[in-house]
Amino acid sequence: MTSDFDTMSLADYLAAGGRLTSPANVPPRYRAELLKLMATFVDSNLAGAAGFAEQINGGPGIKAREASARIVAEKLANADRVLTLMGEFGADTARYVDQHPWHTRLARKAEIEAARVEQDMRLAVFNYPMTDWADAVVMNVLMGHAVCVQLEEMKQVSYQPLAEALRDCLAVEANHAALAEAGLARLIDEGTDPTASVAYWHPRVATSFGLGDADRFEQLKAMGLRHDDNDTLRARWETRTKEALENAGLDG
Amino acid sequence: MSRFHDLEVTDIKKTIRDAVVVTLRPKDAEAFDFIQGQYLTFRRDFDGEELRRSYSICAGRDDGVLQVGIKRVDGGAFSTWANEELKVGDTLEAMPPMGRFHTALDPDAGRNYIGFAGGSGITPVLSILKTTLAREPRSTFTLVYANKGVASIMFREELEDLKNTYMGRLSVIHVLATDAQEIDLFTGRVTEEKVGQLFRSGFLDAEATDTAFLCGPEPMMLGIAAGLKAAGMTEAQIKFELFASAQPGRLAKRAVSVEAAKGANQSTIKVTLDGATRTLQASKELSVLDAVRSDDLDAPYACKAGVCSTCRCRILEGEVEMVTNHALEDYEVEKGYVLSCQSFPLTDTVVVDYDQ
Repeated sequence: MTSDFDTMSLADYLAAGGRLTSPANVPPRYRAELLKLMATFVDSNLAGAAGFAEQINGGPGIKAREASARIVAEKLANADRVLTLMGEFGADTARYVDQHPWHTRLARKAEIEAARVEQDMRLAVFNYPMTDWADAVVMNVLMGHAVCVQLEEMKQVSYQPLAEALRDCLAVEANHAALAEAGLARLIDEGTDPTASVAYWHPRVATSFGLGDADRFEQLKAMGLRHDDNDTLRARWETRTKEALENAGLDG
Repeated sequence: MSRFHDLEVTDIKKTIRDAVVVTLRPKDAEAFDFIQGQYLTFRRDFDGEELRRSYSICAGRDDGVLQVGIKRVDGGAFSTWANEELKVGDTLEAMPPMGRFHTALDPDAGRNYIGFAGGSGITPVLSILKTTLAREPRSTFTLVYANKGVASIMFREELEDLKNTYMGRLSVIHVLATDAQEIDLFTGRVTEEKVGQLFRSGFLDAEATDTAFLCGPEPMMLGIAAGLKAAGMTEAQIKFELFASAQPGRLAKRAVSVEAAKGANQSTIKVTLDGATRTLQASKELSVLDAVRSDDLDAPYACKAGVCSTCRCRILEGEVEMVTNHALEDYEVEKGYVLSCQSFPLTDTVVVDYDQ
């Protein structure tokens, strides 16, 4: 930097809402936290796609299966958008995808809260298995809204290439949530009672917002990697899912 | 993973007293096919220490050449060397073009762009404006270019020529910190307030603008971004590129020296590597790997992302926090192995061994 301009520390710049733009101008600690965020997104999408892929055959009719297959493809494409950014930091992207059995799940009754149990960064909720088509639809309604709430926050992230990628991902995810809601309406029209699935998935999706370590949040906020805390995001999600469930004729 | 290629220096021109434009001929031309606004990362060995520096491409895509602008930075080893010692015929090593400081062009579109550049931040913006004006014949570009004075304006003549070539489609507003100009508004620094004045006085039109490109030092970028948002532009319409010189090597060292002065937040790391043991002091903000490498020890690493396990070492005493682990098995972690690129000291003393 020359003396022709005012300068400031990178920490002050980030705290004031500044953007970083390439792996070349990202400091070490920021890099670590950023890669962790990106890995969480990539792993959750890979695990989510792999889990939902197994439910495609349970879809009622060819249109529902076609839509489900498209959802799986688009979640993989979203994972790829962010994994490509990780590749720019040197990650071996091919190995990254192939090294891991993304479809594996724990037992339905496992109690892991927000813990990351396997050797990956997927959100805890993606470690639980779906039992059938109706269960998968309910999970997708609840998680679909959670992902949208999380992406609306994450698209403000201070690493500009990620913010741009997530803006594209958000449009896709919003459509998936809408498709899931339509699927839920159809289930209810056809006489399926999804109450047990809602009771199962609701607390697990709520936990995916994290348990809220205030110090850690402040640290990430100072780097521009987070903006709204977990409780705020969870409350936003509660409001939206309540509305979605009530629209479907269920208790929010 | 990207790797380094050889490029021959075919021309060096001074654009101002302390900045050169270097023309390069890559051996592998295909690998260096670039998008406007991208940068090249060079590496060179300085007294046994490898330095990597990124410089933006200043050529347009249709110029038929690959050129970067390098402004000398006080105390900057690479930029000083490039300005004073680099000669035609030398070979440089660089990775293929990288960066996302661009938007897709459409020959049928008639868009309006604004570019804000501070000092050597002009290099990627110049590439963008040249390419855009050539490939989108109905689009316009307004450049707001901040410099200290007339003498420090890079590419001043080239910009004048471009204004003649693209009459009515390119306007250039020079804002000079110290040199007085006919219009008062064009003197001083480019701040949030100044951007607001440019909009209000009609030199810029927020509603008609599709995209704004910003490249300059941090405070300037913050001010301009705030000014653009206040004028009604959205986040998605604003593209940033930090000054290529804002690179972590220098910044990290500066930050560490401030902390060292305070004597706080330091850790003593005793490291064994290739059979030799050495003790060093480092900030707890640095990963074990970066701390060890900053002490001239050639600790192994590859991805620096916790995926490849190349940087694995064993913690014999003390504690570290491993923030990401995509490579080590549970049994390895139980035995005290960590990925040093992802591990930050928690205790005041840490003993690590790369040989185990």
